Formats: sequence, structure tokens, C-alpha cells
Amino acid sequence: MNSVKSHFLRLSTKNNVTKISKKFLSTIEEQGRRSELFSLEQERQKQNVGRIEKIEVRYLGQPNDTTLVMNKGLSTPYNCAQHLTLLHCNRSALALVDNHTPWDMHRPLEDSCTLQLLHFTIADPHLVNKVFWRSCSFMLGAVLQECFKDEAQLQLHSFPSPSVKSGSFVHDIFIKEPSWTPNKDELRTISAEMIKLAAKNLKIERLDVSYDLALEIFKTNPYKKEQLPFIKRSSKAGTVTVYRVGNHVDISRGPMISSTRQLGRCTITSVHRIASENNGALYRVQGVALPVGFIINHVAYGILEDRSKKLNSARFPHEPYEDAIVNMIA
Amino acid sequence: MNQAEVSKLMSQLRVSIPKKPRRLRNPDGPEGRLNKLRKTVSALVKHERIELNSARAHEARGYAERLISEAIRHGDCHKATMDMANFWMVEKQLVHKLFKVLAPRFVNCPVSYTRMYKAPRQYPGPVTEIRRAVLELRGNPYPPVKPDMTQNRNLIHNVLLDEAKKQYRYEKYAQIAAKLTAGESKAEAKSTESADGNQKEHTATVEEPVDTKEEK
Repeated sequence: MNSVKSHFLRLSTKNNVTKISKKFLSTIEEQGRRSELFSLEQERQKQNVGRIEKIEVRYLGQPNDTTLVMNKGLSTPYNCAQHLTLLHCNRSALALVDNHTPWDMHRPLEDSCTLQLLHFTIADPHLVNKVFWRSCSFMLGAVLQECFKDEAQLQLHSFPSPSVKSGSFVHDIFIKEPSWTPNKDELRTISAEMIKLAAKNLKIERLDVSYDLALEIFKTNPYKKEQLPFIKRSSKAGTVTVYRVGNHVDISRGPMISSTRQLGRCTITSVHRIASENNGALYRVQGVALPVGFIINHVAYGILEDRSKKLNSARFPHEPYEDAIVNMIA
Repeated sequence: MNQAEVSKLMSQLRVSIPKKPRRLRNPDGPEGRLNKLRKTVSALVKHERIELNSARAHEARGYAERLISEAIRHGDCHKATMDMANFWMVEKQLVHKLFKVLAPRFVNCPVSYTRMYKAPRQYPGPVTEIRRAVLELRGNPYPPVKPDMTQNRNLIHNVLLDEAKKQYRYEKYAQIAAKLTAGESKAEAKSTESADGNQKEHTATVEEPVDTKEEK
């Protein structure tokens, strides 16, 4: 733990991490702290690559199959797309490595491989749909974190693994309010924030961090701290995968879509109270969204909105068996 | 009223036509404009999909729609229609195509015969560039201009809609089942009630004389 900290002291010139970790932090400051830790670790991993080696990436797909010579541990599928066209950069949501492994667009490639770029209108998009749904949950977390005042004491709990067929993506949160029923305007505000996040065109970054660092990042969130040991146990390398969008950092198994820009129409439709906690309660926030470029009739979209209002029965956070806690966090 | 109904004299088109015709500036004046439009309509009939300036495409669209609907209404034995086809088709073999290919194709068409799309502007190029459009006849042999988002049921909106449909049906069936069981139970209840009622009546009729006897 101390070694991690001292390492960051060396890396960070401003020394913000230790300075701000001592006093009480507002939500925004706390997010800043997490994001900075993320950046430092990202920088450290980049430096650890050392001498740059070349890999051959065989790209399969439109406009024609090509071989690209990329940097090992640095180049991402997005960089490969940059060698193709702007269309490939913008619409690719997910990469498929060696024909079977889904790979984030902004995750460095580790070895020579074949590469396919997937988008939302391919013949069999179930993988991309799932990734999109997960990313929606993740982005909803980012938005909720910024929507509430500090007095609400919002803590993100987790989000269950995505199921498009359930009709809604969800994020479970704790707020210090025993019975909150949001009115239409509040829900509309959250939806608008989602759209604003999409308009920012932020890339969604992935990072595998050590357990100690993950504990340091999420030290102010009791739920995440509780979940971390289980996640560590379930992963082979003992690492924890975290994602960042803007300043928001969260645990997720991944993969995620490439950019927030790929979120098109989005509505947050309902908030259900699912369990009471000490002087507060756990809520399940639900919504429905479509990727950008999917234009459907407003009546049809209304049907989807109505359906997504019903309580999503994906795993609830207060359900007792602990073995499933890993499955709970998508 | 001796006036004929205009809607019966004119073909009713499925596209909106602006009140005033576009002037479409041309060095030869109105005649040049018409010649240009003739070329465009002929090209549309010949190639079935053309890309051109948006204003001219929209203007030519109305004439093409009118021509095809006249061809369907009156057929190739009607002199006025044939003259009109002769005027609009610059290449004369296209007159045959109009009556023998397009008229049968669109005879049962419930919507407009042509479609128009906005075309992307040239890049790199000035932003103030004249807008381009794609004009096409329906039922052409080319691949669609816009991707077909309805056939692939794996696309995310189709997955969501299909599931919503499934759930709606499930709820409806549950409602019907509930109604049926409720109806059955009501019927059962009625039959038992009526049986009880009869018994009560019987007892009442039995009791009454007893009461009267007692009073006596």
C-alpha cells in the first residue's frame, strides 16, 4: 500500500493526491482524486512498456483486409481504426480480437492478432448490444454521481450484468433518503444529463489495477470496498478492472463501448426503492436507450419507455448469497 | 353545379407539390428550364436512381409522378397521354419503358412512385455548397439507399420491441385467463347461491306455516 502511494508521490508533480486525501472531500473533489489516481496508474503502466516492440495486426473487414504494424502494449484497436477511415473510428463500438475475444476500443493490444471492428448494425450484434447496455449503466452511474448534492450522500452500489431483453438498464445506488419518489422533472433532468454526457464525446477507458490501488481509489465507498475482495478472488491475476469516463471511475468487468458519443436517444424512466439501509435506502434507477443513428417512431419508443418503468428483476444488491456477488458487478 | 370535380380530372399525387413552380434559373429562360426538367425526368426513367441538385430533383419529382400516374390511368392508347410521354421522354425508347415496365410496376402501388433522399455534401468543399439529393423510382434493382433496420431482428431496437410485444401478449393472455377463471368461479358461485336460495325459499315456505301455527 505504502509503496503504491510513494510511487504516486514520485509521479505526481503537484502532489495533489496526498494533499486532498487528508481533508473532507466533496463529491467533485472525490471524483477528481479517483480520476487522478487512474491517470497516474495509466501513465505508470505506459512507462512500464519500456522499449517499444512492433506487432502485426491483421485487420479483417471493410474496406479490405490489411495488415497493420502497431506498437505492442500501446496501440489500441482505435488506433488501428484511425489507419482506416473516420467512419471506422466513430462507429466502432467494440473490437473482436482473434475472432473470439471482445476487446475495448481503447485497450492496448498485447500481441500480434487478427482484429475485427464491430458496430451496432452488423448481422449479429448481440455482443455489441450487451456492451452498449453495460455502458449505459456505467454512464448512468457517472451522471447520478454528479446530479445529487453532497447532502444526499449518494454512494453508487453496483450494476448487475446487462440483459437487453429485460427492457431496461439499471444502476443501484444508496442515498440518505428513506423514501424518495422522483417526479417527472427530476427524471427528465437525469435523462438530459445523460444526453449532455453523450454530447461531450468522452472516451471510455479501461485499466487493470492492483487490489491495493483499487482499495485506495474506492476507499470512500463502503459498498465498493465490500465488493473488492470478491472481485479480486474471482480474477485470475488478482487485479481489478476499472473504467473511467470523464472524471468518473467505477468497477466493471467490461468491455464497454468506445465513446459516450455512441449513446443516442436515452430516457431515465423510473426509480424503485429496493431495500432500506441505515438512515437511507438502496434505489434501483432504470432507463432505456438506443445507440446513435437508431431512429424509431415515438410511439414505438413510448412502448419501450413504458416497459422499462417496471422493476427490473436482475440480481438485487441486498440478496443474501455472497458467491454471486461477483456476478452482480457487470 | 355543372362544374366537374377537379380531383376526378387530375391524377391525385402522393407527393406534395409546391404552389408555385420553381423558376430554376436558366440562360434560355422558361424553355431552357423545361428542357432541363425533361432531361432529368428522362434520366430518372432510364436510370431509376439519379443524384442531382436538390431543387431540380424536387421539381422533376412532381412531373415524373404526374407522368407515371397518367400512364397508369389512361394507358398507351390515349392520345393526350401519349403526346405527354412523347414530350417528356427525350429518348423515345423510354416511352415503351414507361408504359410497359413502369405502369404495370406501379399499378397497385399505394404510395408515391418515387423517393427522394438528401445526399451528403462533397468533402472537402465549401459548406455553402448547393444541396444535393438522390431521386429514385421505387422498386429499382439497386441496393437500398438507407440501411434496412427492420429485417434484422437482432438489432437492439428490434430486440427491445420484440420483448415488449412478448410481454404485452403474455399480460393479455394472463388477463383473459383471469377473466375465464373468474367467470367460471362466478358461475359456480351462482349455481351454489341459487341452490342455497332455493333451499332458503323452501325452508321459508316450510317455516311460514309453522309460524302461523304457533301464532294461532
